[in-house]
Amino acid sequence: MADHALTNLGPVTETPSSSETLLKVKDLRLYFRTTKGVVQAVDNVSFSLGRRRSLAILGESGCGKTSLARAILRLLPRNVHTFSGEIVLDGVDLMKMNDEWFRREIRWRKISFVPQAAMNALNPVLRVGYQIAEPLIVHLGVSREEAYKRAEEVARVVGLPVDFLNRYAFELSGGMRQRAIIAMALITNPPLIILDEPTSALDVLTQANIMNSLKDIKRKFDVTYILITHDIATSSELADEVLVMYAGHVVEHSPAERFYKTPMHPYAQKLMASVPTLREDKQLEFIPGQPPSLINPPKGCRFAPRCPKRFERCAEEPPLFALDGGGVAKCWLMAR
Amino acid sequence: MLENGVLLSVKGLHTWYELRKFGFIRAGYVRALDGVSFDLRYGEALTIVGESGSGKTTLLKTILGLVPPTKGTLEFAGRQVDAKNLDWLRRQVGYVQQDPYGALPPFMNVRRILLEPMLINKVGRPAEREARIREVLEEVRLVPVEDFLPKFPHMLSGGQQQRLVIARALVLRPKLIVADEPVSMLDASVRVEILDLLRRVQRAHNLGVIYITHDLSTVRYFSERVFIMYAAKVVEKADVREIVKNPLHPYTRALLAAIPDPDYENSLRFKDVPPGEPPSLVNPPPGCRFHPRCTQMIPGVCDREVPPEFEPAPGHFVSCWLYK
Repeated sequence: MADHALTNLGPVTETPSSSETLLKVKDLRLYFRTTKGVVQAVDNVSFSLGRRRSLAILGESGCGKTSLARAILRLLPRNVHTFSGEIVLDGVDLMKMNDEWFRREIRWRKISFVPQAAMNALNPVLRVGYQIAEPLIVHLGVSREEAYKRAEEVARVVGLPVDFLNRYAFELSGGMRQRAIIAMALITNPPLIILDEPTSALDVLTQANIMNSLKDIKRKFDVTYILITHDIATSSELADEVLVMYAGHVVEHSPAERFYKTPMHPYAQKLMASVPTLREDKQLEFIPGQPPSLINPPKGCRFAPRCPKRFERCAEEPPLFALDGGGVAKCWLMAR
Repeated sequence: MLENGVLLSVKGLHTWYELRKFGFIRAGYVRALDGVSFDLRYGEALTIVGESGSGKTTLLKTILGLVPPTKGTLEFAGRQVDAKNLDWLRRQVGYVQQDPYGALPPFMNVRRILLEPMLINKVGRPAEREARIREVLEEVRLVPVEDFLPKFPHMLSGGQQQRLVIARALVLRPKLIVADEPVSMLDASVRVEILDLLRRVQRAHNLGVIYITHDLSTVRYFSERVFIMYAAKVVEKADVREIVKNPLHPYTRALLAAIPDPDYENSLRFKDVPPGEPPSLVNPPPGCRFHPRCTQMIPGVCDREVPPEFEPAPGHFVSCWLYK
């Protein structure tokens, strides 16, 4: 990506140390109240993520991956039943903060979010440049002129032509609008960016272009990504680590080097076997049955009813077992 | 009926949408489809790959008779299609929509959804209709049929909804099925199931199928022949394996290079993607429409003259001056 004129975006840590933990989530629960009962969207999720690493959260629709992102950002609807656990960012326990403090100190400053289909949520009556600059003006109290100058810098970083900043959203193509949204997430220079399906509505070439920009940003600046997607092939473009969710649980968390070659959890294996590949011939598989309802999830392993490898022990809920070469998987087969 | 004859023959098809200012002043045309020709035989499956705005959905709408072609002809089962025989055409062509939930009326149950096409087209007597409904439901494996008949679309999962859409497309016993991105809204684990199902009904009934997608990686699980579209034109036609192994058009090459297979190595390198975006179809660039983004552009040729179709290898057609 030679066409990226990269300017100094902010303080960059000299040497990235992957051992330093940026985000730690422990026993996170997010349940929703509905007329039919309590939905256990995120159930007992724990993981940690190192600084300047990128984590892909994979899973099918309804597995709780977007709820997990919203729980981290505390963007919650009104019908929350339970919201508990620990979320530690940069050594600060976010769960102890009140909502106003969280809004002022964490959102945009520490974590920014690119929600699903955000490119369609740009304000139609404001110029794109102002919308990109707004978080700086509102959250960091930067002057307008300075914020616009920064908006130009981040626009260059994401590959958005600077003269597009004077346009309105409808004058931009889908790919350019998505770049504007990513620029908005970058402008406050937050250590953590959560991307929810950032490219799934875009064409193949545009998708590849945006992935190139995201990689470029990661190489040059101090950012950590959480990428939420159901598109396994595209997730491999960015992931250092992969976390697979099924029915509200984390079932595997592995380094990407191993995950894309040999997933360990039977669900992850089935999921990988269902991904069509362009370059090699393989017999595609599908997973019979459907994920369980999260209102009264089955006792024991939640994947057991669909699992080809189930045995007696699966009636009991498995803990997360540590794997050789790093990572964890929630499956009795990993017990030794 | 000729089992190996031509089912659908498309010749020089152009579909332009008129642009108007203030509702009545002519302001040019969007050339959504600009000169597409091909033949589809009985029982043949064909895939059309293109990005959004490449004209693939317009092609499909023109084949379904939903938009009249501006120029060119459409022949179905040996008969020229025109405004007078559209009803006849639509009975022969089943349509599988992209978004199953949006395509199914929420206030009708499964039985009513499948009955509707037969009522509209006055097909069969009540007992025959009932039997036909059961038959197609079994075919798409929505079994036990009794359980599904009274259900409404919101009670079905995404995969089941898409099966129902396929069942509806089959209920009039068509000769051709057109499927517009039938799996793009579904989860990976269900996609394969639906593609398998389409493939199975295609073989069982010797159906012609046109499968439209932007995702090249699913193509090889569905059909042999594939067309690549760019900016309202077909730029390359070949066998899927041939396209993957030996892509000729620079656009096809870029498209293939951009599609990742799940592999950790992807995160270590940048993709070689052409800059820019597809051209406007109101004022398409002269000559080859890919030339402004093409790295192998021949000045004076590609930007002046429209490339005709060349056949550098048997059965592999490409519209690019590099293969003259």
